[in-house]
Amino acid sequence: MVETDDFIDEAVAEIREAVGDANAVIALSGGVDSSVAATLAYEAIGDRLTPVYVDTGLMRKGETEGVRETFSFMESLRIVEAEERFFDRLEGVVDPEEKRHVIGEGFIDEFETVAREVDADYLVQGTIYPDRIESEGNIKSHHNVGGLPEVVDFEGIVEPVRDLYKDEVREVARALDLEEVISERMPFPGPGLAVRVVGEVTPEKASVAREACHVVEEELEEYDPWQAFGAVIGKATGVKGDNRVHGWVVAVRSVESRDGMTARAQEIDWNTLQRIQSRITGENENVARVVYDVTHKPPATIEYE
Amino acid sequence: MTRIVVLDLHGQFTHLERRALRDMGVDTAILDADTPPAEVDADGVVLSGGPDMDRIGRAREYLDLEVPVFGICLGMQVIADERGGRVGGGDYGGYADVDVEIVDDEDPLVGSLAPDTRVWASHADEVKELPDGFTHTATSDVCGIEAMSNVEEGLYGVQWHPEVAHTEEGEEVFENFVAICESG
Repeated sequence: MVETDDFIDEAVAEIREAVGDANAVIALSGGVDSSVAATLAYEAIGDRLTPVYVDTGLMRKGETEGVRETFSFMESLRIVEAEERFFDRLEGVVDPEEKRHVIGEGFIDEFETVAREVDADYLVQGTIYPDRIESEGNIKSHHNVGGLPEVVDFEGIVEPVRDLYKDEVREVARALDLEEVISERMPFPGPGLAVRVVGEVTPEKASVAREACHVVEEELEEYDPWQAFGAVIGKATGVKGDNRVHGWVVAVRSVESRDGMTARAQEIDWNTLQRIQSRITGENENVARVVYDVTHKPPATIEYE
Repeated sequence: MTRIVVLDLHGQFTHLERRALRDMGVDTAILDADTPPAEVDADGVVLSGGPDMDRIGRAREYLDLEVPVFGICLGMQVIADERGGRVGGGDYGGYADVDVEIVDDEDPLVGSLAPDTRVWASHADEVKELPDGFTHTATSDVCGIEAMSNVEEGLYGVQWHPEVAHTEEGEEVFENFVAICESG
């Protein structure tokens, strides 16, 4: 495991040396990796770092407010409200890879605008070790903000947590006194709720996924899952108050894992599952059905897309 | 310091093999599958898992490096294929939890896990016939040859993934391999 105090000192010194007197930007997602990288970089170069948080409309419930509060100590923090632009881009996009691509492009556009505005020469990224080994093999640099370095001609890219594993990043987060909500936070995919909506992403489906994720996270806290969420996976028939509804099907997933590479579907008490079902169908009139996913990884992945 | 390199055959868990070794204080590195063996100075080699027998670079040449070689999943199949065994599709995909029975408790790699161990697996193909000179060291309901060894040649393989967190005694397998490399 990582010696956190030594690591922090070395990382801060490394960033300071790499960036020198120049300006830098980092994309802050609210996840633990970019939060740790941003905090280290802010410690190193202060307000010459501009952390950029883009609200894509695909964030978890309360996430934007949470980021605003947690990082209020960074005066240079930029919050970009881009929800409408993202939903416009996503209209009619069904293929999972295409969805990721569209979101990646939208993100680059938003980020590029700020990077140019603040005259950033350096890009700081929260890339961690497993990101560098793509599932296809070949060790290559992984761009969290896919393709950004090709668009903006940065002088350099600084990746302070590049040799750490997820659980080690969490240790560093604790040592940096990042609030519990960050250090213990469940991993959240880059494309956000888009991968928790099978098929086209609409504001309605994203909203159902957001509410469902919130219920699941709340109800399953005591199970201490690595990741727990609800995903909108299709439509089915239901009956509510003597009326037939053709509503969304929400799949609930809760897994334990050390590193996300393998995962075990958690055994959840029946009453807890029923409470989740009741809250999701009760609070969302357009949800007809809730199912629990019992598949481990492998053969399934943790997220749906 | 003992140095054990991991040859990356494009497996999704390759970096966890590096981590398992690193966490036990071994000097380690991940190498591209096309790295010429002559350039490698190591006390042992791990052949990682991977998706495809046609994308293994120069992995076969590493069996002649005269240091112990530990093949994991596809890595084990490479050893079997190269030494004259047979690899083919299994009747039943091995995914997630598998109970493995150790059939050779003297084996330096997996013998210490006897009588059985609970592992995580992820494979469609498997070793169907052992190559000459190899001992069958472990088995399960879903896969006949779960592990094999040729102690004389220093070639070892397991079909499951000892590097993932859900394999219960995975670290012990790596510790055993490190001990094999250190005594060699």
